[in-house]
Amino acid sequence: MTIPSGMTEATFADGLAAMRDVVGAEWVFDQPADLNTYRDFYSVFWGEPEERLASAAAAPANVEQVQALVRIANERRIPIYPISTGRNLGYGGSAPVLSGSVVLDLKRMDRVLEVNEDNCSCLVEPGVSFFDMYRHLRESGSKLMMSVPDPGWGSLVGNALDSGGGYTVAGYRGHWEAVCGIEAVMPDGELLRTGMGALPGSETWQQYRLGIGPCLDGLFRQSSLGVVTKMGFWLYPMPESMLSASVSVMRFEDLEELVRIANELEYGNVFNGMPGFSSPVLARENPIVMSMVPEPEVMNAMVAETGLPAWSFASNFYGPERVVREQWAYMQSRFAHIPGVRFAETGFVRLPLTPEDMERIHKPRFGIPSLEIFSVGSRGYGDFNPSDGHIWFSAVIPRSGQGIIAANRVMRAECERLGLDLFMFVPSVTCWTRSFVLFAAVPVYKDATRNRELRDKVREVIATCASHGWGEYRCPPAFMDNVMDAYSFGEHKLRRVNEAIKDALDPNGVLSAGRYGVWPRHLREGRGA
Amino acid sequence: MTTRRDMLKWGAVLPALGTGWHGAFAAAPQGLDALVLDTRYPGALDLADASMPVWRFAGDVTPLWTGHLSARWKEPGHVLGGITGSDALFVLETLAEHRGRRVVSRLALDLPRVNGVQAYRWIIAPHHPSVTA
Ligand SMILES: Cc1cc2nc3c(=O)[nH]c(=O)nc-3n(C[C@H](O)[C@H](O)[C@H](O)COP(=O)(O)OP(=O)(O)OC[C@H]3O[C@@H](n4cnc5c(N)ncnc54)[C@H](O)[C@@H]3O)c2cc1C
Repeated sequence: MTIPSGMTEATFADGLAAMRDVVGAEWVFDQPADLNTYRDFYSVFWGEPEERLASAAAAPANVEQVQALVRIANERRIPIYPISTGRNLGYGGSAPVLSGSVVLDLKRMDRVLEVNEDNCSCLVEPGVSFFDMYRHLRESGSKLMMSVPDPGWGSLVGNALDSGGGYTVAGYRGHWEAVCGIEAVMPDGELLRTGMGALPGSETWQQYRLGIGPCLDGLFRQSSLGVVTKMGFWLYPMPESMLSASVSVMRFEDLEELVRIANELEYGNVFNGMPGFSSPVLARENPIVMSMVPEPEVMNAMVAETGLPAWSFASNFYGPERVVREQWAYMQSRFAHIPGVRFAETGFVRLPLTPEDMERIHKPRFGIPSLEIFSVGSRGYGDFNPSDGHIWFSAVIPRSGQGIIAANRVMRAECERLGLDLFMFVPSVTCWTRSFVLFAAVPVYKDATRNRELRDKVREVIATCASHGWGEYRCPPAFMDNVMDAYSFGEHKLRRVNEAIKDALDPNGVLSAGRYGVWPRHLREGRGA
Repeated sequence: MTTRRDMLKWGAVLPALGTGWHGAFAAAPQGLDALVLDTRYPGALDLADASMPVWRFAGDVTPLWTGHLSARWKEPGHVLGGITGSDALFVLETLAEHRGRRVVSRLALDLPRVNGVQAYRWIIAPHHPSVTA
């Protein structure tokens, strides 16, 4: 068994015994076959001594048990690592950042505590999966729609805490943006409620996020400061219909205008669904991989030769049919001046969806959880086998035409120089409304030599992106220190403030040590090594 | 009720069966509660004489999960056998582990790959006290 470094076997065994007393012996796991569940199947350290492994796991059933477990860990300085559903594949799976940590597996806390139809909000426990929530909404006849990531087996809480994203409406598809109200067990075992939840008797916990004073929700995003036991979310009223459309332009030089107008229309609420920017001519070999953006004349010649658009902007409108049709008509009028512009209505569906609709739609765009993405050959996944594994590379880049071109060229050139494989590369993902995210899926291996090379290459890419002012918004544990290092303004003031907060709230450094590059004082020097 | 002996039995029986499609579950071991067949592999449609529910799907595990397994795997028992691509097995294994179940047997089959995906024959059985008791 991997026991936490610097800890005696006796102390650790005593800690596990105390945990068993709290949750019951069958809910503490320390046998290798059980701990397999808490390995990161997509780890870039697979099978190497550095692989992040749990020493044990404990699965509490309620908040009181979480508090008791945190106190037990704190008293003995046993590192613990909370997960909700632990499906963070591509960003660390269910493994802890610090080897030897005891995973607090919150899957048994799976109650939907409240759905408020009039306020369009909900309050859930961490083990509630997107599938659970969807079933709850449909079985209760709810008129609400949630936003889901591509794989539906994750949790509203875990996904939002790692800043996940979906495909639906602005303000909802950035899952952290839709959070309203958090309850967390702090490292001392006490319970904190943020926002209006701090006011006993308040009925507005899921209505007003800020409460009074500094807004503390941010303490829990990608952090190591508390075990979140309840979280509120805003939900979208089920729209009457959804219209999808595209605006395509035929010249290299039209991209800037395409993005500029699209931004204005999105920020002005003329459309509300997730937009997509692509280059049909550069993705003709593989729709999920944009090849290197060539010089303007070359690209324009490719367009002339193939008849495919240089760039395309896909937009989605959720709302009453009358409204979305007007919005689409107005949108067309705004792009009409671009020579050769093409407009296409690519889909229109009324809700609720019919069984036939269900067969042809991309379910997450309608807040319907699915596991389709894991089926080889499915939309969005190409022929990459999920059992081989990959990591995500996700850097925030400027939301402009120039942003797409620069990110594409830099990333493509780096991958070529380093010999780094990508099986998905989209420089302009729009989970958030005000920036693009350059998304790439990088295959990982069950081979230490190849993974070692891969890690070096990814670190180089992180540094190159940082030199252009692009930082990752999320990353697997292997790269958290490198990514945090890149946010270096003011001699790493961001990290130093995070460390000061960590020391104040978790002086024994027991909770999620090392997450996103924030190490407790006693591990800071060696960063957990 | 699933006992530890049952699990060992299923683990032992499967490798003894053939690795072609028809041999795969021609003699389905007693005690399977359902069988899952991946229709991307030829043969999945005509293997219908099983004495247990047979659920067919084409690679996407979603309907299987929402329609059957999500509820059944919360309850004690339920031993599932399957012939599927490795992609679907990966998803089912992950779902199973978080519900106190394990793949107790897995064997690569001599079937042509589909989209490069290897077919496996496998059995998933409960092992955690909350689902075996
Ligand atoms: C093919 C594929 C497609 C994907 N597509 C998407 C996508 O569209 N959108 C997207 O966002 N992601 C996507 N992902 C990444 C990932 O699978 C999802 O984000 C998934 O929802 C995260 O797992 P989870 O919800 O189980 O969170 P968890 O794994 O439970 O949590 C993530 C992390 O948050 C912290 N945490 C969790 N719960 C708590 C808690 N209660 N208290 C304190 N800290 C906690 C932990 O550090 C944990 O490691 C994809 C992955 C793959 C492999």
